[in-house]
Amino acid sequence: MAERVFAGKLQRAGFTDVWVGGHRPFGIDQAALYPLFTPEVIQLMRDTIPADHQDHVATGVIVKARRPR
Amino acid sequence: MARDLMFQQEIKETVQRAYAAIATGAGETVARRHYNDHELAEVPPGAVQWALGVGNPVRYARLESGQAVVDVGSGGGIDTILAARRVGPEGRAVGLDVLEEMCERGRRHAAQAGVEGWTEFRQGEMEGIPLPDESVDMAISNGVLNLSARKSRALAEIFRVLRPGGRICMADLTVEGELPPEVANDHSAWAG
Repeated sequence: MAERVFAGKLQRAGFTDVWVGGHRPFGIDQAALYPLFTPEVIQLMRDTIPADHQDHVATGVIVKARRPR
Repeated sequence: MARDLMFQQEIKETVQRAYAAIATGAGETVARRHYNDHELAEVPPGAVQWALGVGNPVRYARLESGQAVVDVGSGGGIDTILAARRVGPEGRAVGLDVLEEMCERGRRHAAQAGVEGWTEFRQGEMEGIPLPDESVDMAISNGVLNLSARKSRALAEIFRVLRPGGRICMADLTVEGELPPEVANDHSAWAG
């Protein structure tokens, strides 16, 4: 899910003051540390994602928002 | 529409099957990427071992003593326990997880941390949170919303359980651009 889509879903749910920050790159080497990613998926990612993008496949973010009073 | 619903159910079953099958969390290496020494010292080793998150929502949540907080997708309880420490015995921390065995793990870790008196774990889905309307001040989650096939529904549920003025603080992964179709269409990739 893209960041703007995430923010849009929050706004459509009724949240306000949406803030996205704390961006950190998330690469295949990081993904490989999580047991929910199987070795087969990790290998598939290594085989299909261009080498110069493999260290930043996704971005870790912090998303904050508020339910209006 | 029917195909969409089948697809959502397929994703849900794939994610839950993969989640139920794991024998451990991502471990200390991943935990050290997101939590500092002080934070790691506040939780028992088992909760650190079972960490599966992608960030540290509690650090950004600015929780206050006496608040009620729900951790949506609490796993082994690392963030629930950290949140429980921030809200203290005058507050309340609820961990929500789709797997009862994970809730059991969270209860064990909360007891080891000494926060069990004001911390509970409930089995349930983020798309149907088993809490009353307007019952919490803060909702946190860590790498969980992305696993839902019904993200808008999950966000609507979080909105429902928050009190007016309540806040949400989530760590998650975003993806800009397109993943290769081989990855995007792989069932196992949904679970990650």
